[in-house]
Amino acid sequence: MKKAKYLVTFLVMAFMLFLTACGTSETSGNGSDSSNEKKTLRVVTDAAYAPFEYQDKGEIVGFDIDLIKAVAKEAGYEIDIAHTGWDPIFVELEKKIADIGISSITINDDRKKTYDFSVPYFLSTNKIMVPEGSPIKSAEDLKDKTVAVQNATTGQEAVEGLLGKNSDQIKKFENNNLAIMELKAGGADAVVADNTVIEEYAKNNPNDKFVIIEDKDAFAQEFYGLMFSKGSKIKADFDKALNEVFDNGTYAKIYNKWFKVDPDVQLLKDQQ
Amino acid sequence: MDIQWNILAEYAPFFLKGTLLTIGLSLAGILIGTILGLFIGLGKMMKNKLLSFPFGLYITLFRGTPMLVQIMLIHFAVVPLFTGGTNGIAAAILTLSLNSAAYIAEIFRAGIQSIDKGQMEAARSLGMTHVQAMRYVILPQAFKRMIPPLGNEFIVLIKESSLASLVAAPELMYWGRAMQGQYFRVWEPYITAALIYLVLTLSLSYVLSRLERRLATE
Repeated sequence: MKKAKYLVTFLVMAFMLFLTACGTSETSGNGSDSSNEKKTLRVVTDAAYAPFEYQDKGEIVGFDIDLIKAVAKEAGYEIDIAHTGWDPIFVELEKKIADIGISSITINDDRKKTYDFSVPYFLSTNKIMVPEGSPIKSAEDLKDKTVAVQNATTGQEAVEGLLGKNSDQIKKFENNNLAIMELKAGGADAVVADNTVIEEYAKNNPNDKFVIIEDKDAFAQEFYGLMFSKGSKIKADFDKALNEVFDNGTYAKIYNKWFKVDPDVQLLKDQQ
Repeated sequence: MDIQWNILAEYAPFFLKGTLLTIGLSLAGILIGTILGLFIGLGKMMKNKLLSFPFGLYITLFRGTPMLVQIMLIHFAVVPLFTGGTNGIAAAILTLSLNSAAYIAEIFRAGIQSIDKGQMEAARSLGMTHVQAMRYVILPQAFKRMIPPLGNEFIVLIKESSLASLVAAPELMYWGRAMQGQYFRVWEPYITAALIYLVLTLSLSYVLSRLERRLATE
């Protein structure tokens, strides 16, 4: 009986030691921080959106990730990036579980009611992806077609503007990959999504023979921003840091690394 | 907790539509699954190992892999193979039927094998054939024992039908997710969906307990 007691004590202690070890390795980055008041910020993302954020052998990488790392460094914050999926980003920020959301989130008036946004850091437009030889040539042609989109994105809003809210012709998926698979499998006539993502897909999968259609009249320019909880105190710090990253060329370097072209920084700054 | 009833009212027709489809999917899954399950269960009980092997394999595969994987594979690979296009509703019915068939097969087998061997021997010595003995003596008794596990399986099936939302079949959970995505609110859509599922499963267990009482001999 006594032996068992010792064993239990030993196991509990070993377990606690293990936990402590895990804890320190996670927060070891904080050691060098001069001001102890600054806690590590929780950054949430939906890492299924290459090349902005995706998982490379379990590690979250991408344009947004490089950018937030550079901006946080500039602003003097430690960050901890977590992949939560798309919808939980909004819930976590509203409940103030997370501090920052970065996931190609478009700044729009609806979202501004519940959240704060940084200055814009990326220009994007929704585009239409169709199979080669499709009769669809513009957004107008989508009116009697089935369109696959990612749930709760501006791509969905853009299509709802054409087909009506909750129309039967719109198929909403968990992410863009599933929407594209639906198009490939013949369940939809088109996918509407942010240009970078579908252009990247079409480029990487030439055998699928997808064509990207731009319709400037139907789909407006959109800007991505960092998303904060309403009334967030760190927003000002990150706005300032973003502008510094624009000015000192770090932004252009990261942009060029992921998209192989130079960004129009002036256009972004004009939006502020 | 602030509940915005107005957005719930706006989505009420969609929840209704979704509920009807959920009921449809579940009923189709239950019916097809039961018929398939009976067939597969009998197949697995065959004495010839070679003949019973494919049935055992079927049960292993469908019971041993997650339904999420099954529905994705069936939606994006199996259904397009036959029809050339995807169909969320067809994929959902097919997955629910095939998956529940594996479980129901085992329920049938357990029910039949739980009847004492003497029952079959007695029936046969009265001059019944094997089929007659099964039909008039064994199966009626076995069925009574199968009702509780069957009810269990049907309830799981209703809840599992929510996975169809991932392949954009516009059932209850799909509209819950759509509403959540539009307003970025969690309580209204998910609690509503949960309550509707609860009503569906409660009604089913009521029907089954009525059936059980009706068939009770003591």
